[in-house]
Amino acid sequence: MSDQTGKQMSKEEKDARFEAELLPVLDPLYNFAYRLTLDEDDANDLVQETYLKAYRFFDYFEQGTNAKAWLFRILKNSFINEFRKKSKQPAKVDYSEVEGYYNSEDVEGESGVATTTDMRTESVQDLIGDEVASALNALPVDFRTVIILCDLEGFTYEEMAKILDIPIGTVRSRLHRARNSLKEKLEKYARTMGYNG
Amino acid sequence: METKFTEAYEQPASDTRHETDCDKVAKLLDAVVDGEATAEEQTFFTGHLEDCVPCFESHQKQKLLKGLVSGNLKRILVPERLALAIKTKIQATTV
Ligand SMILES: [Zn+2]
Repeated sequence: MSDQTGKQMSKEEKDARFEAELLPVLDPLYNFAYRLTLDEDDANDLVQETYLKAYRFFDYFEQGTNAKAWLFRILKNSFINEFRKKSKQPAKVDYSEVEGYYNSEDVEGESGVATTTDMRTESVQDLIGDEVASALNALPVDFRTVIILCDLEGFTYEEMAKILDIPIGTVRSRLHRARNSLKEKLEKYARTMGYNG
Repeated sequence: METKFTEAYEQPASDTRHETDCDKVAKLLDAVVDGEATAEEQTFFTGHLEDCVPCFESHQKQKLLKGLVSGNLKRILVPERLALAIKTKIQATTV
């Protein structure tokens, strides 16, 4: 019985270590899943699937390395491989195939976003938050992803390249294009609200 | 003669010889606001912004855009039962 207990302990220890190292990432991971799927149930399933996969490969995870980036990478792969097909979201155009090095004449010029700065009461903050969310949700999923990873989760370009399995140059160009699209959408909003920059 | 001259002038867009400092700054905007620019790039960027109002404004705008996402996007609350569901599944898994 005692060796049985010993074996039992190691599974328990593994579980404890797994939970201690990886469960703290649950909040950002769920938020990422939600921003990808735009559906709470789907996000729930995707996160559970991610943790189960992580558990199966936990022996390959080097303790003390970037657990957050590791989980984000697993989740993003699950999303692409399986989830995207059964997701309730209508398929959006994937721009990743057509992006080259950016040649953008459209970056500067238009103002509009700037007009939101000077109205920082709390309800306005909420309103802005909703508007940013819907502008972001309207972007193609690849664009949405880089903005979330960079601006919301604070990953470096190098970490993003690993999570997304793309070269850093592609991270840069995708982020650039994603921000241009987001800027356009927010400017349109600012104009319809009657603020002109 | 004049036509020929014009044609010669309109060479492929891939030619980067005419890239201005403003063009370079525009390409560095993201790296700068994300803290990913090299020291060299940062120095060039900062130096240019001291004399160029449009680029200064572009930089302000880019910072604002990043701030709108990082500061205003609401975080979604994780369902209470999710952590427990994960733990239960993990513990029931034999590897
Ligand atoms: Zn300039």
